[in-house]
Amino acid sequence: MTTETAPAGRITLPGGEMLAWSDLPQERLADGGPLAALAARLVPPGARVLVAGPHDPALLDQLAHAEVTCLLRSHPDAVALAHRAARLVVGGPAGLPDDETYDVVIAAAGLDPVESVEGTQLGWDGVLARLVAVLRPGGALLLRLDNPLGLHRLVDTTPWYARRDDAAWAIGGVLDRARPANRDQLRERLSVAGLMPATCWAAYPDVSTPTALLDADHLDRDAGSGLFDAVLHGACAGGFTSATVLQDPARLAVDALHAGRAADLAPGWLTLAHRPADPEDPSTPTADRDLPVALVQTGRPGIGVLEVLHGPSGWRWGLIPTSDPRTPAGAPFASGKAAYRDADALSGPVPSGRLLRTVLLDAAVRRDLGTVRALLRGYAGWLTDQADADGRIAGAAALAGTDNVVFDGERYAVLDPSWRVTAALPADVVLARALWRFATGLLTGGYAHPWPSTLDVAGLTVVLGGLAGHDLDRATVSEAVDAEAAIAAALHGLDAAGTADLATELHAVAPTDPPIGGHSYQQLREAWLRQREELTRLAALTAWTEELLTSRERALRRAETTISLLSGSISYRVGRLAITPARLAKRGARAAKRRAIAVLAPKQEEQQ
Amino acid sequence: MHHANHFYGHAHVLARYAGLGDRHPPRINGYVQHGWNIGDGLAPGHPYAERTPSLLWSEQTRRRAWSVGRRNVVVMGAPFVYLLALRREDPPAEEREGTIWYPFHGWEGQHVKGDHRKLIALIRDTEPGPVTVCLYWHEYRMRNVRRLYERAGFRVICHGYRGHWWKDTDPDFLDRQLTELRRHRRVASNRLTSAIFYGIAAGCEPAVYGDPMILSNEDPTFGGTARIRRQWPQLHGSTVDLPTAVEIARAELGTDHRCTPAELRELLGWANLQEEEEDRDD
Repeated sequence: MTTETAPAGRITLPGGEMLAWSDLPQERLADGGPLAALAARLVPPGARVLVAGPHDPALLDQLAHAEVTCLLRSHPDAVALAHRAARLVVGGPAGLPDDETYDVVIAAAGLDPVESVEGTQLGWDGVLARLVAVLRPGGALLLRLDNPLGLHRLVDTTPWYARRDDAAWAIGGVLDRARPANRDQLRERLSVAGLMPATCWAAYPDVSTPTALLDADHLDRDAGSGLFDAVLHGACAGGFTSATVLQDPARLAVDALHAGRAADLAPGWLTLAHRPADPEDPSTPTADRDLPVALVQTGRPGIGVLEVLHGPSGWRWGLIPTSDPRTPAGAPFASGKAAYRDADALSGPVPSGRLLRTVLLDAAVRRDLGTVRALLRGYAGWLTDQADADGRIAGAAALAGTDNVVFDGERYAVLDPSWRVTAALPADVVLARALWRFATGLLTGGYAHPWPSTLDVAGLTVVLGGLAGHDLDRATVSEAVDAEAAIAAALHGLDAAGTADLATELHAVAPTDPPIGGHSYQQLREAWLRQREELTRLAALTAWTEELLTSRERALRRAETTISLLSGSISYRVGRLAITPARLAKRGARAAKRRAIAVLAPKQEEQQ
Repeated sequence: MHHANHFYGHAHVLARYAGLGDRHPPRINGYVQHGWNIGDGLAPGHPYAERTPSLLWSEQTRRRAWSVGRRNVVVMGAPFVYLLALRREDPPAEEREGTIWYPFHGWEGQHVKGDHRKLIALIRDTEPGPVTVCLYWHEYRMRNVRRLYERAGFRVICHGYRGHWWKDTDPDFLDRQLTELRRHRRVASNRLTSAIFYGIAAGCEPAVYGDPMILSNEDPTFGGTARIRRQWPQLHGSTVDLPTAVEIARAELGTDHRCTPAELRELLGWANLQEEEEDRDD
């Protein structure tokens, strides 16, 4: 917390401030992430903006082109942010001056933290009414609402009604009729408050620091979108790594997407609403045209906020580059790193189609080998087409795994072309790496599949290679795992020792392991069940082998008895005598051969 | 591991396809389906270790095996499909002649009830060209049965002994069968069996007719011959629609599921063979 003296006159204290409280988020994204990028887009230059409630300081930095007033309940927060805003009102919403209006009001932390513990509690509608009152006609409100039935609650090990942290002096939940609980109710409340709801973005994986903001209407409509699939999976897989959860949030989010319910299960929503302009003054300060379909922060390394915008022929990529000086610009060919991200690559169209990983997983769990084979052959053929004369693949295609390739039923295409290798890789290694990654996810994720449980990850990779029409060997798979470790190390900035540790860890992944990364109870239980199944199989096999061994030993004893009986017979003795010269000759020849080898060997060494 | 894997030289064919040469095949980490089957793909009565992989011919058999409680069931296609890949050269149609006829056989422990004479008369009335009758090992050794067919003017052959408890397995059984099938224009039997599907895959026109010769102790669990006739009526009769038969044989033999050599080595547990085993078998 900053304790420097605030610039005089910027902070006003109308009463209700909290002196021993801070709301500033602990987790922060570079440049404020997608939320700050969206806010910056919504605020025209020179606009008067009210930022109500606690926000990431980086968001205020993104609004440097506007005149910003902050409404904060925490006095220490106001002191910390004083340099970033034109004015700071510290207290509850009642402290907002009646005679001031704003072009844009941003309440991207929701309405709850706008209210102070001090003074009369206005409630959700009361706070909204207060904010609407200071929004000038024609102005825009960006408002966050948390979803009481969001994905974060479905995977949380602690139920929402049992919170005991300091901020839980009141707990909002689905039982509270005073606040809206879904998007329909939110639209209704906004209308009642005199606003016109416009675009709504679903915030994943966490509504406080979302790494993905996705247009909710598009999420409802484009249930099979490979883009949304990859973004939701990436955001949720990366968003819960430090917490133990009940079930895999990425699986849940992607399932929700395919059921047309990803917007409904979002941890929260950010809604844009307008206050109708005065009939005599129809001008609108904010332009809703060209608002992004998606704003995503992917990494590592982060290169800024990726945007998906409407283009003349479908969606196209855009990028708001990061201002972080630690992010290297351009291709780090000289650094010797295996991979990097190329910000310039994000300008073309976003290819449509379903995510290859999803269609492959679907075919695997349904044990549809025909579809798996057709998909993998098409994918491997597409990869091979991109190899140069030496059979090496460069650029984005070399990192085009099943989680970054979309398939529209005919064509395969790289989704996000910013991931690139520095030096081209052999085509077989590229394919083996992609298949190894898929095999690892399939086995450790506990998915049903049509292959025997006796296969290890490398074995399944070879089998998938066979289905793709490529006879991979284990040495290629091993090379691919090393390549994977080098690529991951380059992207995560690991040193040589870290890379070696990672390679060892990746080589050791077993089908009975839970997934790498965050743990969910469901997946841990599944891993335990797989281990138990394997033990059952091995125990049955041992019992069977014991039984067989007993029977074969018995057969051997019978055979030995027969042999000893026969070897004592006269005909055996006569026969043995007859072949004795031949046996002696053979023995002599062997000894001569050994001697010759012994004589020749040192000479050959000397010649070398 | 399981002796049934060696029946008909199946393990030998798979080892050759997997690039292990003509060596004695290493142990297979699972049970390879050794005949066309309307059950779970495994021969009833054999002891099996629980949850050891079943390596089955077709997707339909996989579904059926799963539904009767088998787990670790994997489709890899019939060993015959691997043999076809090793010996791709199908002879031209003009080099094929007559019919190879497989009177239904049980295995050694079963006894077929039926009238061979009636069957011979029917074959003579039906088959347009010369007939080769292929008898199963134990019937071939039964002189009276063999004579019946020889006296009818048929060429009588036997592909070899399938083997039992790793003993006397004829590693060329399947090879010999393929060679014979490719000499003939038609393949026929009184029951829909592996041989009919092999024949179709080897380019013969199939036919299934005549007394199916019920086994005295036939296991009725999966519905027996009556069910076979109900489920595959298209393949029964003295002439059947060839494209339909080819399509069904493709599915039943799992032709499209044939693995690549490296893939097969993984599925059979041959990818990491121990040196001692290789040394011993060389």
